[in-house]
Amino acid sequence: MRKLSLTAAALATTAIASPALAEGHLRIVDEPLELTIQMNHRAYPIYEEDWPVEQKARELTGVHLINDTVGANMRSDENTGRTEALNLMLASGAIPDIVGSSRIRDFVNQFGPEGAFVPLNDLIAEHAPNISAYYATRPDIEAAVKASDGQMYYIPYLPDGKYGRAYWIRTDWLDALGLDVPETVEDYENVLRAFKTQDPNGNGLADEVPFFARQWPELIRLVTLWDGRAHGSDTYHDFLIEDGKIDHGYIGEGYRDGIANLARWYAEGLIDAEVFTRGSSARDFLLSENLGGSTHDWFASTSGYNRLSSEIDGFEFKAFLPPASPSGRRIEEHRRILVKPDGWAIGFENAHPVETIKYFDFWFTEEGRRLANFGVEGQQYDMVDGKPIFKQEFLDAGPVNRSLYQVGSQLQGRGYFQDYNYEIQWSNEFALEGIALYDTMDLLIPDFLGVAFTPDEQKIYDRTWGSIRDYMLERQQGWILGNGDVVADWDAYIAQLDDMGMQELLGVMQTAYDRQYGG
Amino acid sequence: MVDRNSDVGGIPIEEVVVEAKEALRDRAKTYTPDTSWTRMVDHFKREWQLYAMLAPTIIWFVVFLYKPMYGLQIAFKDYSIFRGVSGSPWIGFEHFEVLFNNDQFIRAFWNTIKISALNLIFGFPAPIILALMFNEILNARFKKTTQTIVYLPHFISSVIIAGIVITAFAPTGGIVNIILGWFGIDSIYFLTRPEWFRPIFVGTGIWQEAGFGSIVFLAAIAGVNPSLYESAVVDGANRWQMMWKITLPSILPTILIMLIIRIGNIMEVSFELVILLYQPATYETADVVNTWIYRQGLQSGQYDLAAAAGLFNALVAFVLVMTANTLSRRYSRTSLW
Amino acid sequence: MAGVNLSGIIKRYGAVQVVHGIDLDVAEREFVVLVGPSGCGKSTTLRMIAGLEEISEGDLEIDGRRMNRVAPKDRDVAMVFQNYALYPHLNVADNMAFGLRIRKMPKDQIATTIAETAEILGLTDYLARRPADLSGGQRQRVAMGRAIVRHPKVFLFDEPLSNLDAKLRTQMRAEIKRLHNRLGVTSVYVTHDQVEAMTLADRIVVMNDGRIEQIGTPMELFNNPVNTFVAGFLGSPPMNQMKAQLTETGARVGASEIKLTGAINGNAGRDVIVGIRPEHVTLYPGDQTAALPIQLDLVEPLGSEALLHGRFGEDPVVFKTETNGDIAHLQGVNQVHVPASLVKIFDAETGRALRLEH
Repeated sequence: MRKLSLTAAALATTAIASPALAEGHLRIVDEPLELTIQMNHRAYPIYEEDWPVEQKARELTGVHLINDTVGANMRSDENTGRTEALNLMLASGAIPDIVGSSRIRDFVNQFGPEGAFVPLNDLIAEHAPNISAYYATRPDIEAAVKASDGQMYYIPYLPDGKYGRAYWIRTDWLDALGLDVPETVEDYENVLRAFKTQDPNGNGLADEVPFFARQWPELIRLVTLWDGRAHGSDTYHDFLIEDGKIDHGYIGEGYRDGIANLARWYAEGLIDAEVFTRGSSARDFLLSENLGGSTHDWFASTSGYNRLSSEIDGFEFKAFLPPASPSGRRIEEHRRILVKPDGWAIGFENAHPVETIKYFDFWFTEEGRRLANFGVEGQQYDMVDGKPIFKQEFLDAGPVNRSLYQVGSQLQGRGYFQDYNYEIQWSNEFALEGIALYDTMDLLIPDFLGVAFTPDEQKIYDRTWGSIRDYMLERQQGWILGNGDVVADWDAYIAQLDDMGMQELLGVMQTAYDRQYGG
Repeated sequence: MVDRNSDVGGIPIEEVVVEAKEALRDRAKTYTPDTSWTRMVDHFKREWQLYAMLAPTIIWFVVFLYKPMYGLQIAFKDYSIFRGVSGSPWIGFEHFEVLFNNDQFIRAFWNTIKISALNLIFGFPAPIILALMFNEILNARFKKTTQTIVYLPHFISSVIIAGIVITAFAPTGGIVNIILGWFGIDSIYFLTRPEWFRPIFVGTGIWQEAGFGSIVFLAAIAGVNPSLYESAVVDGANRWQMMWKITLPSILPTILIMLIIRIGNIMEVSFELVILLYQPATYETADVVNTWIYRQGLQSGQYDLAAAAGLFNALVAFVLVMTANTLSRRYSRTSLW
Repeated sequence: MAGVNLSGIIKRYGAVQVVHGIDLDVAEREFVVLVGPSGCGKSTTLRMIAGLEEISEGDLEIDGRRMNRVAPKDRDVAMVFQNYALYPHLNVADNMAFGLRIRKMPKDQIATTIAETAEILGLTDYLARRPADLSGGQRQRVAMGRAIVRHPKVFLFDEPLSNLDAKLRTQMRAEIKRLHNRLGVTSVYVTHDQVEAMTLADRIVVMNDGRIEQIGTPMELFNNPVNTFVAGFLGSPPMNQMKAQLTETGARVGASEIKLTGAINGNAGRDVIVGIRPEHVTLYPGDQTAALPIQLDLVEPLGSEALLHGRFGEDPVVFKTETNGDIAHLQGVNQVHVPASLVKIFDAETGRALRLEH
């Protein structure tokens, strides 16, 4: 595929760049062309023109991006679902030539059809051979990007790699208690109980917290251990797709049984009593206090806690395979999603849409992709045996992700295709070992990549989904905490959801899904 | 001997006030409205300092209160930020229909009323009682120290407050449950129990704001004529009687004004604290209109729906404050306007 | 009814002593006025009697009982404050009843007392009003009513008329006098207004700088001030004071000599101050009068009388004379005549009155 795109790029560029200049095969314009850009993210509030990556891109393409970010702030957009900066930009009345942001999909899919952003289908087909080539291999991703009118309005950030989160356990505690790594959910329950009752940290107190989570929805994900489903994508409480049918995890019978079991676990003390309020410091606190036994969390960051072995004697926190459900099924529900709702789009006032789409396409060429992933050759990385390898001093300079942001690469506000090799180079041995372990089985299931609504569908979604979600979460927490019994309440719960429009909502989702993915 | 009576150049203050009133009346009499341009120019030349002092307030009101009212119309429109306020189509009362057909909105509305009522019943008297207590402390240093201590929570951000509350009420290691443990009571996961949310929320609010809120009442108490107390001392009143019969009635106008203001804010439950403290498990009692708007409206970009809910909020508050003001004017001759 | 006795009363605020030892006996039913300039300690003294200020040293007796450590309410005194101290939230009747309710007097008894007192003060029609709806004079009456209903042994007044305009003040002054005559309660009254003092007092206590300068009936103080302070404080306009020197036969004031009848007793040559009340001079020479040349600056007609403002040598002087309906003839005045017997002589150094044998 990469070879194909290279050829295509070469073919495309010959039309405008002088064929004599082999060096300039990526060049888009002869005279420097300035395009304004809005890019706001909590890690990089504005687009920095002196990022080495930007400088290199200017040199290669002749396109100069000029920062024109409105409403720059460092706020996370996790809660509002879209950045306030984007709304501020729209409200200000002027849209820059290029708009890049995380969570841009719903935004451009709403305002693109209204005329705020340039539709990209024709531009991509005519001027973006590398993007076209990628979409040719992944029609599902192309479909996921489209708005309800069938147009693409943004070029997405495409994560690479398979695994995100994994199950982790204190293997040194297992050893201390003479237990094996749990293989089934029954084993897992026994191990957690042993953690609670047999004092693996040896301080004489039953203060161990067998299962904990930084985000309480990760607790809900444990329903997969009883063949239930929780989150259909990397967005919590999301719908799920199974054999082309839209469904929701929280109305499945496996979910019901899973919640019943989790309620039992909670009552027994196998789950952190404060799981709903402990918050993001849970992992840090419980591990460094030698209290936490097991969790479900990211490979990269969680494996890093093994550095605690210097303070806690024997500390070892390792990934283990998802325990098998009573029916014998093992799944890891969480995965790196194939396409993020992040990326960049072309504002309707842009006078150079062709040059802009060519510029977007540049980042899908081999050189562009390397630039977006690794930074600038000779500065952040060197080519060793034809592969980009980070310089040691760069890896030593602190958190790699942050360092990369600071040179202008790995920006989620830029549409590009991630290369997982960048992460492997600084993942620690525990993470790599865990990934290798997960690779021994087929654990992953397809993600729900989202749908784009027509205005009428959007209305139904807006009217029903918020209330339905609130009601489901309210009951969910209540059952786990022992306020009510899930099995006894189940029929009334389903009836209430139908009353709130659950079936109507699923119908609308299915219609949208079929339209988008050609179901 | 200290002369206790404030006066102006030896003239008792009452006389100064009377004279000033008469002067104003005279001026009003001699002022004849004249539409001629030169008169108006003369008027501005003479009084421009007054207008200059007035200008910032007027500008503030226009820019921050009146101009935004223009945007209220999106409550009746299918609003799109891109199309703008004027470019979005009218849809009438559709958003209000959505609101009133939503059980969760209705629940949030009543939750707001209930939390506010509790706040009013327990939270409103708290600063008054505190101020009265401060007033009875004779030792100046002790008074200052205690005042500082109770003012402090006001200056802590809600995020920190929420952190403190979550920690204090944690089921394992939270101070509250530890104390309950001493009495043999099993630990309670307070923040996930709907029945505990309101007491904790209202209590937190009192802890945070009662001290700072007492300042206005302390100021009112400081304004009470000291000879009222001396007279009462000679008449034989004890401190308790002085508090009930002099201090409280004397600050009653302040109390009523504060009450009316408070009633005007009844729909404004401090929602950032709710957001930080609530859980889906406690939505039943904790979800208020503003958090509902936040979840339903802003999270999915439904500004028009949020504006409709906000407008409804404002209407309720307006009716309440008018009622309170009228009642207060009728029964105590104290009112905001 | 009871007397009030102060002996050696001293008041200190920290290290600062503001009242330096007051000795005063107020007889039963007597009306005593403490008068003096601002800051002389008169109010402090009154507040010590009331119990609002602690007594630093000395003894206070009311009705023969030592009161230094007795709580204000148990001293059986009632006080009228300068700003009336009316409770703004209570109507007139409730204001007057306040002290009685505190003392748990039966309700019907309170009602009769209030009704009687209101009748005395002419407040019957105003009982339901709040203080804000009353005039200054009416408020003043309510304040007094509140004191009266208590039937105390002693009334204490702290500049009660100073917030009223001149006309009301005259009216209320007379009313207070009548009330006192009617009720006969021992009263201590503080004022800085010498006219009030003169008109109301059985005895006046002139205070200055935390000390008593002189105690006596109004006429005693007027006729025989013990020093230049008292002489200058009482009387309107105050006594003229001129530097002079004693001679064998009288006092030399500038170029003139006033023949004095009393014995100089070898004090000739002593520096003194000659005091002459404005109203004691005549425009025409008489028996035993000395002529004083003055330089007239201004004639102020008051109606039947006129004030002559002028200078005698360096000293400004004011004299009062009858107009007989016209002031034209006064414009040319260049000397006045002083009856020698009415001249007061004070020591120039100490300001004390010198007693001359007539």
